[in-house]
Amino acid sequence: MSAPPLLRAIALARRYGPAGASVGASVGASVGASVDALVETSLAIEVGEIVAIVGANGSGKSTLLRALADVVHGPGASGAVELDGRRLSRAEAARVRAFVPQRPDVAAEFTAREVVELGRFARGADDDAVARSLAAVGLAARADRPMHVLSGGERQRVAVARALAQIDGASRPVLLLDEPFGGIDPAEVARIVMTLRSFASRGAVVLSLHDPGLARQVATRAIVLAGGCVVADGPTRETLTTTVLSAAYGHPMIESAGWLAPDLEAGGTLRS
Amino acid sequence: MNTLSKSRGFAILAGVLVVAGFLRISLGPMASEEGVRLGFSIASGEFLQLRTMSVLSAAVVGATLGLSGLALQTLLRNPLASPFVLGISSGAGFGVACVLVLGYLFGASGAASIFGGAWLTEAVGAVVGAALALAIVARFGRSSDGHDPTTLVLAGVILGSIFSAGTVLLEQLVPHGLRGDLLSWMAGRLPEIPETRNLATLGGAMALGWFTLAASARALDVSMLSEDEARSSGVVLATLRSRLFWVGGILAGLAVAYAGPIGFVGLVGPHVARRLLGPHHAALVPGSALAGAALLVAADAVRQLVDLGSGRLPVGVLTALAGGPAFLWLLRRGAFR
Repeated sequence: MSAPPLLRAIALARRYGPAGASVGASVGASVGASVDALVETSLAIEVGEIVAIVGANGSGKSTLLRALADVVHGPGASGAVELDGRRLSRAEAARVRAFVPQRPDVAAEFTAREVVELGRFARGADDDAVARSLAAVGLAARADRPMHVLSGGERQRVAVARALAQIDGASRPVLLLDEPFGGIDPAEVARIVMTLRSFASRGAVVLSLHDPGLARQVATRAIVLAGGCVVADGPTRETLTTTVLSAAYGHPMIESAGWLAPDLEAGGTLRS
Repeated sequence: MNTLSKSRGFAILAGVLVVAGFLRISLGPMASEEGVRLGFSIASGEFLQLRTMSVLSAAVVGATLGLSGLALQTLLRNPLASPFVLGISSGAGFGVACVLVLGYLFGASGAASIFGGAWLTEAVGAVVGAALALAIVARFGRSSDGHDPTTLVLAGVILGSIFSAGTVLLEQLVPHGLRGDLLSWMAGRLPEIPETRNLATLGGAMALGWFTLAASARALDVSMLSEDEARSSGVVLATLRSRLFWVGGILAGLAVAYAGPIGFVGLVGPHVARRLLGPHHAALVPGSALAGAALLVAADAVRQLVDLGSGRLPVGVLTALAGGPAFLWLLRRGAFR
């Protein structure tokens, strides 16, 4: 029997519907249709993988990532996530799995370093881990500035550092990032990508990206979503192609506008 | 915020509390050739005892309000939150008025004046009213849900006027004497002669709230992040929030049952603490209690100096006159982003 995967998603689904729409109960309720933000999705992600989730706006990228992070709640959410073959409590999971949402936020006048220190809630204070994480996102020199004087891109990097610090010390960590490069300079993106690569030698990274060209460079595997369904899943060479993406985005323009992502090719495989 | 400036912050708060307490004990009416007039003296005997009790009473109410305000601000991730601003004090006042009127109509408390022995029932009424108001106002959202923080405050102000109107309505059902009592109590009035039993109950609840908040100080810090980040960091938000809800609601309710709705101490206390001690709850919890106590004892001391001819003012008038402008100043400074 083979070892369980590092991260396994079992039938994750998320439905927004009329009055929460528990399936079956809404037969009589015809006012408004329910919308599947994520159709039942099962996945296995192994150590060493950097998985990019790609798709058009509203295709379910954030929903899938939030479900993998176990922060989706409410009557329309179902499914389960296992780490190393086990379902963990929130406190246990926080020791090995960290998540950066699309819009990180802090409602207090913390400095960058203090925010990163909050990441150590589950594993316990560790100044070295905090310093390492701040250096990994290039913020060591600005660590003692209050969050509200940092730029949007810098605040985004602080959130990534907080997540890195959270699982610093885990033997098989999982890092989930929702659009982590929004507003970040190319040089800093490159620095963070280097960090993610060395991170993936011990664990796994799942990140959503709206730019397939960047996904092609950063990730080893891509999951392409359309309308809440996985339409392609595999090595980036086979999934991030003009053929697959045109189908996923429902827009033939991608094929002709090759200059937007010059290293994309035609071909690849779509799920039926 | 380093340890040194934190110690300095605590020293400032404790210093203000001690000085204000000393002033409150030393200031008071004295007999003189022209009759009774205000004077400054070293009190002794019964005066000392009574005034010390008054200081203690103001300090406990102030600390209760400070802690309640901190709990609400953290719960709602909104620095504008406080028992008074969110209409929770009015809800508690309405609860007390309900209990009083019911007592009068059915003769249960023998038409007693306020705190004529029915303190416990009044406290229960206040807590129920406070929790009801908080449950309603919390529906208007935390800032993390993408709501504008001012929406919540607006909802609180409206809710407060609804509850106040309800209280006035209830006043019509009781005889004149009791009505006057109720009116002056609604302005926020520290009892002139504190009852040890009531004060001890309030003090016990305040200590329990303090302990509850202090015990989860680190989780409270993490809860200042966005919901998704706090959850994925390992905080069980539902548990933490129900704790904050009950600490905020019960303390606000009890403070109102004891002293009426005293405004702005619960708002300004945590802000003063934040400025002096930084954003970590390990310091903010004792800091807010200390700041609330210092503010209210100071207001109570100043109150001794003001006599417009009809006895001393309710302390709530002073805290509103001082705290209201402070609130506006904070609002204009953009302290609430």
